[in-house]
Amino acid sequence: MSSRPSRIRPVRRPIINKETSEFEPCWQTIRDALVDIHKQNAGRLSFEHLYRTSYKIVLLRKGDLLYERVKEFEEEWFRDHIMPRIADLISPNLVNVAFVQPPTASAHERRHMGESFLRGIRDAWQDHNTSMNMVADILMYLDRAYTSSTKNASIYTATLGLFRDHILKNSLGTASTDREHPFLVFDILNAVMLDLINLERDGHVIDRNLLRTISSMLEDLYETDEEIEHQKLYLTVFEPRYIENSSVFYRNECEKFLRDSDASSWLRHTRRRLMEEQDRCETTISILTSDKIARVVQTDLFLSRMDEFLAMEGSGLRSMIDNDRLEDLTILYQLISQVDRTKTPLMVPLQSRVMELGLEIEQTLKNTDFSVPATGAGAEGEDGDAAEKGKSQTLTAAAQQTAAAIKWVDDVLQLKDKFDNFWANCFDKDIMIQSAITKSFSDFINMFPRSSEFVSLFIDDNLKRGIRGKTEAEVDVVLDKAIVLLRYLTDRDLFERYYQKHLARRLLHGKSEIHTEKEMVLRMKSEMGKIFTSKFEGMFKDMELSKDLTDKYRDHISSLGDVDTKKIDLNISLLTTNNWPPEVMGRNVNQEEGTKLECTYPSGIKRLQESFFKYYLKDRSGRVITWVGSAGSADIKCVFPKVPGKESGPLSKERRYELHVSTYGMIVLLLFNDLGDGETLSFEEIQAQTNIPHVDLTRTLASLSIAPKARVLLKNPTTKNIKPTDTFSFNSQFVSRTIKIKAPIISSLSKVEGDDERKETEKKNDQTRAHVVDAAIVRIMKQRKQLSHTQLTTEVITQLAGRFKPDVSLIKKRIEDLLVREYLERVEGESAYKYLA
Amino acid sequence: MDTNGDSAASGKYITLVSRDGWEFVVLREATMISPTIKGMLRGQFAEAKTGRCTFPEISGVILEKVVEYFQFWYKNQDKEDVSDMDIPVELCLELLVAADYFGLDKQY
Repeated sequence: MSSRPSRIRPVRRPIINKETSEFEPCWQTIRDALVDIHKQNAGRLSFEHLYRTSYKIVLLRKGDLLYERVKEFEEEWFRDHIMPRIADLISPNLVNVAFVQPPTASAHERRHMGESFLRGIRDAWQDHNTSMNMVADILMYLDRAYTSSTKNASIYTATLGLFRDHILKNSLGTASTDREHPFLVFDILNAVMLDLINLERDGHVIDRNLLRTISSMLEDLYETDEEIEHQKLYLTVFEPRYIENSSVFYRNECEKFLRDSDASSWLRHTRRRLMEEQDRCETTISILTSDKIARVVQTDLFLSRMDEFLAMEGSGLRSMIDNDRLEDLTILYQLISQVDRTKTPLMVPLQSRVMELGLEIEQTLKNTDFSVPATGAGAEGEDGDAAEKGKSQTLTAAAQQTAAAIKWVDDVLQLKDKFDNFWANCFDKDIMIQSAITKSFSDFINMFPRSSEFVSLFIDDNLKRGIRGKTEAEVDVVLDKAIVLLRYLTDRDLFERYYQKHLARRLLHGKSEIHTEKEMVLRMKSEMGKIFTSKFEGMFKDMELSKDLTDKYRDHISSLGDVDTKKIDLNISLLTTNNWPPEVMGRNVNQEEGTKLECTYPSGIKRLQESFFKYYLKDRSGRVITWVGSAGSADIKCVFPKVPGKESGPLSKERRYELHVSTYGMIVLLLFNDLGDGETLSFEEIQAQTNIPHVDLTRTLASLSIAPKARVLLKNPTTKNIKPTDTFSFNSQFVSRTIKIKAPIISSLSKVEGDDERKETEKKNDQTRAHVVDAAIVRIMKQRKQLSHTQLTTEVITQLAGRFKPDVSLIKKRIEDLLVREYLERVEGESAYKYLA
Repeated sequence: MDTNGDSAASGKYITLVSRDGWEFVVLREATMISPTIKGMLRGQFAEAKTGRCTFPEISGVILEKVVEYFQFWYKNQDKEDVSDMDIPVELCLELLVAADYFGLDKQY
């Protein structure tokens, strides 16, 4: 450091000289200073002097003695100066308030006494704390050189701890021992605090800051001088009592609400209490308690009787849902999600309410349906033959049933809207709740056996209405909703079948706008996949090709200059067999009657058909065209001659009308062209000449001879039903106000299926399902070679989930069938199968 | 640390007085390195009220060096690689005792 040789100066030790080397005089200095500090006279003391004095004591190795003397001094100070004042505050009345329940004193009195007691404690504590800070400062060297080398707590901690031992845990001598159970100051302190808080809960105003100060005092004091974090007196003594007291309070309050109030105010009250308690932790006691007290309110006020509140007539969950009480539901959701992550207490009743309301829709439907077909059934009864029931009656009944179907969908959608609204506005778009609601919707929709059909009918109705002046946007909204419902359906194959049928009718009869149709199918495609919509798309394609073909054929004919066929304008719908429903394709009839039936077309038409077929085969050889009479329609210009003998009125003139009828209708009417005046044809004669299937003929004749607007044929007898024995004649007196007349075409109306039809559809669907399951099994086995029965069943169900939910029994049956057909073989000794290539 | 307990003592500078009557006017903040002086000034004692601290057992020579250290610490407290303060060898024993008294042992 320094090259200069120098002697180190010895330390001069004025510190350890005779006058100041004794402990007692030094202690006396310190002791006097302690008194001054307590009396808040520190201003006249020299810190340096006191520090130096304690410094010397420590250097004299008397630190331990100093440490003990300071503590003794403080204990004495408490005994002589502090306790008497506190004991004065603890009047017998205060003790009664603390230990006699229910308290006999008035609220005002209790508050007054309690608060002055707390103030006494607070003042004592604050004085002590300030003094001890100063003492710790002057004894700094003691901590540094003595305490830290022993196991003792720092002088500050030790003297602070004295407050706990000599004030709070003071048993007050006779005041307490006179009583049955001796108590400590601390017990009174707790009781007073709890009493004040309960007063506040009951609406009184209390000194929050005072309580807050006392609480932080309890947070600053520990069970021992080791000051272990979780052993704060606040946590070990006050908080448990507070929690218990609150629990009792809220249990009582809950009972009171259950007795006197309703679920709605209970919910609001619970929410308010939770906020109050939160606030209380922040302003009055300690934030340490906020979670615990929240749990108390949740448990004792909310959860304990929740089921009873939610079941309350007129205000419970059911009423909240039915009356759209959004706020109630919001609070309920918020409260429940605080207590239960699974939200089961909300979800379960919510789900069952969805189910109930869903089944209610079905029930209402049944009840409305009941009265409507009742009249139809009566008419049927007379007849005894369902197939031959009156056409007009069938129509109205069917129309009303269709209306019912649409009502069902509308109602379901409305219900869905309702719950979507809850979900978005009350349930914070909770994913778990969404899937729970979705599941319930799906459940009740699939419990309703006709949901697939009804959904398709609903779409049918809306697409047809699209033409009738609904705006595109409106249709859009409805279609979106239809897709939503579609998502719920498990039997999608059944829906596909119905939709195909309804779509076919709309397309063939031009009932809807093609771009809306395509839009709809596009949506289905994105929802259900390509395979689901392939047939629908095929149908669109057929329609486009047909239009093209019709135009080309027309050009072709006009280029030939064929005068003969000019009179008949042909519009072709060329349909690919697989894409279209069998009913439309007429295959249905063929199967039933067992023979290949084709009706006899009049020669004019036949020529036209041949001409078209010839044209068609020019470019495509080896194709076959089947003419489906049941699906087409025709516009016929008819002339009704002047009725002889009538000189005035419409009958006196010749009338020309344009009649729109089904293809069959046209064939039938053409028969009457060749008939003389007054001649008649019987049902059987017509059938023999045309070869139109019985059922279709009945319908056709009904549309031409019964419906008043298009009664161009007269029927004898003039009943409302068609019987095989009826005869028909040309109605020469037919009059209509409009030139264009539409004979009702029964097949163009999408209506609810009758029970027989429905069974038929389901039977067919089951057949298809069998094939689909077969294919799935073979596909899986081909890949996996060998699988156990359970594994195979699971795989099949997974594969088909997008289309429908196959019965386990069906799968089993199909496996058996495949075993017989030797696609599979059993693995011996196991319940497993092997694939046979 | 809040040292401004009293208006009379809240000045920016304080005075340190040695046994032999030397007075050193020091930046209050610079003395905060010493817990002893810090304690002296934060309570309600006479020093805190006057801003004047007398050390009857420390000579001016030593106190000067201590004050020098306060300044040294204050200037360099946030810096790295600071060269040591010059300590005259002949004073080092006395300085050690003073350092103990001022509580300068456990700071850095």
